[in-house]
Amino acid sequence: MNSIQKKIWTLAAVVLFIMVAIWTTLTYYNQKTQNQYNDILQRYLRLNEVTSASQQTTTALYNYLLTPTEDNLDQLNLSKEKTRKAKIEVIDLRNTENDFTLTNYMNLIDSLVETTDRSLMLQSEKETEDSAKTFTEATRISKYISDMTLTLLDTDLKTYDRFYRGIIEQSAELKKLGVWLLLLITSLLLLFTYWFSLSITRPILKLTQAAKELSRGRFDLQIEVESNDEISFLAKMFDRMRININNLISEIQQKAQLEKELQQNKLLLQESQLRSLQSQINPHFLFNTLNTLSKKAYLEGSEETSDLLVSVADLLRYNLKRLDRSVTLYEEVKVLRQYIEIQRARFTERLQFYSEIDEACLHVQIPGLTLQPIVENAVIHAVEPEENGGAIWFRIVDSGEWVTIEFEDDGPGMTELKIKQILEEHLVETEGHSTGIGFSNVVRRLRLFYGLEDVIGIESGSGRGTKVILKIPKIRGSEKYDKAPDRG
Amino acid sequence: MRKTVILVLGVVCVVLFYFTFVTADKVFRSDWQMPQTSDHKQAKYRLVLITQELGTSFWDKVGSGALEEAQRAGASIQVWGSYSKNQEDFLKKIEIAIDSKVDGIIVQGLDSDEFKNLTKIKAAFYGIPIITVANDVPMAESLRRTYVGSDQFMAGQMIAKQLLSDMGTEGTVILMGDSRQEDYQQQRMNGIHDVLKQYPKVHMEYAETLDTSEQVMATTKDLMNRLPEVDAFIAVNANITGAMIQEIGKRSQVEPYHIYSFDDSPETLSLLKQGKLDGMIEQSPETMGRISVNLMIKWLSGETVPLDTDGYLTDIRMLKATEAR
Repeated sequence: MNSIQKKIWTLAAVVLFIMVAIWTTLTYYNQKTQNQYNDILQRYLRLNEVTSASQQTTTALYNYLLTPTEDNLDQLNLSKEKTRKAKIEVIDLRNTENDFTLTNYMNLIDSLVETTDRSLMLQSEKETEDSAKTFTEATRISKYISDMTLTLLDTDLKTYDRFYRGIIEQSAELKKLGVWLLLLITSLLLLFTYWFSLSITRPILKLTQAAKELSRGRFDLQIEVESNDEISFLAKMFDRMRININNLISEIQQKAQLEKELQQNKLLLQESQLRSLQSQINPHFLFNTLNTLSKKAYLEGSEETSDLLVSVADLLRYNLKRLDRSVTLYEEVKVLRQYIEIQRARFTERLQFYSEIDEACLHVQIPGLTLQPIVENAVIHAVEPEENGGAIWFRIVDSGEWVTIEFEDDGPGMTELKIKQILEEHLVETEGHSTGIGFSNVVRRLRLFYGLEDVIGIESGSGRGTKVILKIPKIRGSEKYDKAPDRG
Repeated sequence: MRKTVILVLGVVCVVLFYFTFVTADKVFRSDWQMPQTSDHKQAKYRLVLITQELGTSFWDKVGSGALEEAQRAGASIQVWGSYSKNQEDFLKKIEIAIDSKVDGIIVQGLDSDEFKNLTKIKAAFYGIPIITVANDVPMAESLRRTYVGSDQFMAGQMIAKQLLSDMGTEGTVILMGDSRQEDYQQQRMNGIHDVLKQYPKVHMEYAETLDTSEQVMATTKDLMNRLPEVDAFIAVNANITGAMIQEIGKRSQVEPYHIYSFDDSPETLSLLKQGKLDGMIEQSPETMGRISVNLMIKWLSGETVPLDTDGYLTDIRMLKATEAR
């Protein structure tokens, strides 16, 4: 986990590293330069030392020759020693340019020492004149040494000319380097800081925007934060929260939808029940009367009439009972047959009813009183108005997951508008239905029962007859119809 | 916006980085190392060539010949000396060379006591061999090992013969020399005498002068006043040639006179080219330099012991104005 703290540390480390690197380099460079300066100064100092030592020697010699005391001799020996030491130190100054001169120089120093010794020796042998002469020579040699020191210095200056100029140029360059370095580090730090602050503030900004959107109620925007620190974690959690809220809201919406549907269902039921209640007084009386009539007809030997009356009575009973619960297709088909019986008695030859039934499909659950109103509709529109009657085909076909129930008549058919009205459940007609239940009611109930819109289809056209197709799923998707309170 | 800022900063950084790098490179590049302290083997012999007449083309040639030979032989040599015959400086240089204990000294001979003193006593004391070059000082007086240079006696003879062939066996000749009477001048003079004495009709007039140009001019004037019938001039010392010709030119045309000199002066060659000088003796300075160094090394390494004390003579030839032009 890359944390913000780590980022800050990285920045600090980078800055520290740059500073340490620069410090080290500059210190090293400074040391190097100083060493070189020391070397240069050393050269001059050493050469100068030779000159002064040689002069000291001649002075000491002079003093000794003048007053040969022990003190002066010590002094002389001391300065001679000094000259010798200076000579040894001068050896280091040798380079290709001054090789020749330096050798001469060193030999001159030797000559000086030798001459001095010779002068001393002559002095001790009391040859004062020769000694004085040798002293003059020593003085001359000392002068030559000074001269040659100058020559050497001159050569050095010439040899090191480029070197010295290099040093000057370099110090100028060093100044420039300082400025450039300052600028470079400034801009590098700016860049780093900008990038660094962006990497922190950008995710926060995104998060802020996302929060704003959420507060406005938009839960469908995904929160994406490209970052590798804690803010990314925060954003992820925030996104999860958003998804949860979104899910909860949609659940609530679904529930509300369900509630609404349930309400509608209840209203429909109430309407149906009202209708049935309205006709309940009559039916009960009628039912009893019909039973009596049936028995009477049977007793009088009119069996056909008796059966018809029983059918009517059964139909009535069925109507009264089965409105608000699901029944099997089998029961529905049975009721349908009784209804056809009754209608046959009415229309005799004018009504031709053909049925093809796949017995295997009859266990399917279906809302009560759905088939009969449709057939009744066909009878009313296709058979009743026609002088020659009409034919009705009724089929139950197994088609895989579905059971297809078809009602077909050869009547005048329906207009497009009518079909649309029916399918959109507009309550238009209630013309003389025996059950009092209209086509629209059936459509509505079927849709509610199966939760499917295309459970019913109508094919029709002017003069082509009408074909109503019900597609009943063998397994019901929803059981909600059953859960509705029983109001039988 | 953000991209622009980063881009601009990035570009600035790159540019600054470049400049910083360039400057740092300049600062830290170590091409200004101290000159190498010489580890290489020191030259076997340290020689010094000392002359009184530094800067003249004659001695430049001697020097270059010597340097060339020394380099070839692996010896190191330096050319020291004084300018325009500054004797004091010249002698000082010799003394320094001796005190510096060089391995060998090649020197332009100077016929003076100080010079002889230095070479004979001091150099001998330190055991430093001396070879004279171009101008000789007799061995007895200088203890030189040998002499390398022209045969001045023969040069005198050549110039006299040339004079005779140009002028004929009759006429007046003015010989002019430096009053310092150096050995080589004497030799030349002897050579000239040696030839001319056989022709009694050639009248010789010898004059000495100091080598300042005023003195030379005064002497020339004086001589020409005394000897108006003079036919020829011989400047036995090349250094007085310029002033002499200048003075002659003041009085009359230079062309009718036969004027001769030697080449060991910077002016003579240009005078010859101008036609003012009728002829001069050309010596071989480069050969002198070369041979002297060669002999010195041979002596030091013990290859040729002893050296020919009479000297090793180099070529001389007569250069006439007609050839030089």
